[in-house]
Amino acid sequence: MTTTLRPPRTDEAQALPAPRADPDRPSLRQRLSRFDLKASPYLYVAPFFVLFALVGLFPLGYTLVVSMHEWDLLKGQGPFVGFDNFVEILGDAMFWNSIFNTVSIFLLSSIPQLTVAIICAYLLDQGLRAPTLWRMGVLLPFVVTPVAVALIFSSIFNEADGLANNLLNLIGIPDQEWKHDTFLSHFAIATMVNFRWTGYNALILLAAMQAVPRDLYESAAIDGAGSVRRFFSITIPSIRPTLIFVIITATIGGLQIFAEPRLFDVSTAGGIGGSDRQFQTTVLFMWELAFFRRDFGEAAAVAWLLFLLIVGFGIVNFLLSRRIATSDRPVTRRQRRALAKQGESR
Amino acid sequence: MKLSRHTRIAAAVAGAASIALLASACSTGGGDEGSTGDEPVTLTVTTFGTFGYEDLYEEYMEENPNVTIEATNIDTGGNARTDAFTKIAAGSGLSDIVAIEEGWLGAIMDVSDTFVDLRDYGIEDRKGDWVDWKYEQATDADGRVIGYGTDIGPTGICYNGPAFAAAGLPTDREEVAALLEGDWEHYFEVGKQYVDTTGKAWFDQPGFVWNSIVNQMPEGYYTADGELNVEDNAELKANFDLLASAIGNGLSAQQAQWDWNGGKSFVDGTFATAVCPGWMLGVVQGSAEAGGADPSTGWDFADVFPGGPGNWGGAWLSIPETSEHKEEAAKLADWLTQPEQQVKQSAAAGNFPSTVEAQETLASEAKPNEFFNDAPTGAILAARAEGVVAQFKGADDSVIQENVFGPPLQALDRGEVDATIAWDQAIELLHELVG
Repeated sequence: MTTTLRPPRTDEAQALPAPRADPDRPSLRQRLSRFDLKASPYLYVAPFFVLFALVGLFPLGYTLVVSMHEWDLLKGQGPFVGFDNFVEILGDAMFWNSIFNTVSIFLLSSIPQLTVAIICAYLLDQGLRAPTLWRMGVLLPFVVTPVAVALIFSSIFNEADGLANNLLNLIGIPDQEWKHDTFLSHFAIATMVNFRWTGYNALILLAAMQAVPRDLYESAAIDGAGSVRRFFSITIPSIRPTLIFVIITATIGGLQIFAEPRLFDVSTAGGIGGSDRQFQTTVLFMWELAFFRRDFGEAAAVAWLLFLLIVGFGIVNFLLSRRIATSDRPVTRRQRRALAKQGESR
Repeated sequence: MKLSRHTRIAAAVAGAASIALLASACSTGGGDEGSTGDEPVTLTVTTFGTFGYEDLYEEYMEENPNVTIEATNIDTGGNARTDAFTKIAAGSGLSDIVAIEEGWLGAIMDVSDTFVDLRDYGIEDRKGDWVDWKYEQATDADGRVIGYGTDIGPTGICYNGPAFAAAGLPTDREEVAALLEGDWEHYFEVGKQYVDTTGKAWFDQPGFVWNSIVNQMPEGYYTADGELNVEDNAELKANFDLLASAIGNGLSAQQAQWDWNGGKSFVDGTFATAVCPGWMLGVVQGSAEAGGADPSTGWDFADVFPGGPGNWGGAWLSIPETSEHKEEAAKLADWLTQPEQQVKQSAAAGNFPSTVEAQETLASEAKPNEFFNDAPTGAILAARAEGVVAQFKGADDSVIQENVFGPPLQALDRGEVDATIAWDQAIELLHELVG
C-alpha cells in the first residue's frame, strides 16, 4: 500500500523548485484517499472504544474516586480519606473470608466442569447420530437464566425437604446441611455453576476438536495408538489454546460469581451468603457493603481490589497461554515424531 | 473473549444509560406539576410483602379513568429496602409511590429530602386520622411529613388449635389468651410444658420472637435521642438471655425465616405458636396455603401478647422528589390510606390499619377471618393496638435486626453456641457492621 503512495511524494520533492506546478501536487482526492487508508480503520473500531471509555473506563475511574472518599449510599459523598477504605478492607476478616469462598467455589466448579466438558466434547466429536440434537442438548442448561437455576437448586438443596437430602436418605445417608456447612454450600453452588456452564464449554472445546486434522488420528491409529492415547497425545495438545481460553473465561466468571450465592439462601440474614457468611463471595460482600451497610466507599474499594485480583489472574493466564501457544507446534510435532518412532520400533 | 465480555457489559451499561437518558429527557419535558386536568397519567407504585392493594387499584382506576396504575410488589420488606436504596442512590428509578417499611424508615429519614413534603398536599388536614405516633414517625427533624401511614403491626399470637389440644392445652382463643397472659418468661414456661408433653417445638424460630421483644421495649437498639444503645443495654441483654434459655429448652423449631419449609411446617405441627404482627397474618396464610394448609389445619389468632402490647413493622406511602406526577401520586396515596380503603386493605391482606376510624370499623365489624378459624382478627388486632408506644428507629435498625442479631440467634438455635458467646458475637458484628 505504501508503495503506491511513494511516487507522488517523490514528485512533490522534485516539484519543490517549481511550486506552481499544480498537476504534480497530490489532489484533494488523493489526499482524501490517503487519509481514508490511514485513518479509516481506526474510525471503524472507534465506536467500541468510545463506548468503552464512556461506560467502562469512566466508571472504573469514578469507582476509584468513590473508593477514596467516605461515601454513604444515600447521603452521598463525604470527606476524602485517601486509601483508608482499602486499608480497612484489607484488614477485614470478612473480606478475606469472601476471597476464600470465591476461590474455593471457583476451584470446586471449574476443575470438574472443564474435565467433564472435555469428555463431553470428545464424545460429541465421535460420529453420533443426530449430532445437532446432542450438541443443542448440552447447551440447553446455558439458556436458563442463573436466577432460575439458583431458585431450582436452592429448592433441591433445601435442608428440610429438598430433593438432594431425600435422595441421600434413600441410600441411608442422613440429612446434610447444604446451606449451613461451608464445604457443602460451596459444593452446592459449584453444582449450579457447573450445571449452567459445562455444556457451553463443551461446545467451544468441540469446535476446537473438530478443527484437529483427521489424518493425525488416522496415522496414529495405524501406528497402533489406542483411543485413550490418541485423546491425550493428539486431542488435548491440539486444543490447548482453546482450553486456555476456556480456562481464562471460567476464571473471570468464577471470580465474579454473585447470583448463585445471593439466591441460594435468600431468607437467612437477608441473603448475604449464609448465617455466618459461609458462602459469601467477594461480589456478594461488596453488595452487602454497598446496599446493606450503605458504605459505598468501602464497597468501591472492594470493587477495585477485585478488579486488581482479576487482572492479576488474567496476567498469569496470559503468560501461561503465551507459553503454551508458542510451544504448541513443536509439542505436537515432537509427539508426532514420538508416535512415529514408536510405530517404527514395533 | 475478554473483548466480547466487555462488549456485553458495555452493551448492558449502554442500555441502562440510554434508559436513564430517556428518563431524564422525559423528566425535563413531561412534568405536569400543578396540572389538575384529566390528561392521561400513568402512576407507578411499589409495595412489598402482602399489601392487599390489587382491588383498590382497580377501583381507583375505575373512578379516575385518566389514571393508569402500574404496580410492582416486591416479595419481602428486605428486598424492597435494597430496591429503594439502590434507586435513591442512583437518583432515578423510584416509583411515583414507594412503600417504606418501619425497619428502614430510620435510614430514609437521613435523606428525607429525597421525598416530597406531604404538607404541600394537605396531609396536615388529615393528621387526626392516624394514631398520633404513626404520623409522628413519618415526620422528620425539620417537621416535613414524608409518608401517608398505611398499616401498623400490633402483635398477637398465632397458634395451632389441634396442636394445643394434643398437648392438653385449651384451644378456645379466649382461654388461650388467658393461658398466655403474662410476660415472656411465662410464655416460654408454657412452651416448656408443651415441649415436654409433645416433644415438638413451641415457636418457629427465634428471629421473629427477638424482633417482637425488641420492638416492644420503650427503646430498642437506639435510645429515643437516636444514640446507638446495644452494647451496655442491660435490658436488651437480659431479654437475649431469656430467649437463649428458651432456645436451650428446645422451644424453637429451627425454621428458616419466611420459608417454614415451603409452608409445610404450618401443616405438619412442627411448631404450635408464632408471633403475629397484623401484616404477618397474610404472610402466614400465604405460606401455609402454599404448604397445603386450609382452614381445617386449625390456625387461630389469640388476643394476647407476652410482655404486653407491641408494634412490629408497618408501612408508609411516600412520593419521591423524582416523581413526575407528584400531585396525582399524592392524590392516589391519600386515597389509598383513607380509613375506608384501609378497611378494604385489611380485609384483603389481613394487616391492621393505622387510621383510628378504620381501626374502630374493624373492631366493631369483627369480621371472622376464615383461615384463622373464623377469629375476628381485625377486632383482635384493634385490641392489641391499645397501649402501643412508638419506638425510635435508627438508621441501622434493620441491619442490626437482620445482620447483627440474626446470625448469633441462628447459631444459638442450632445449639452451636451458648448465650454468652452468642451475645459476644452479636456485639462483634455490631462493631463490624455498624461501628
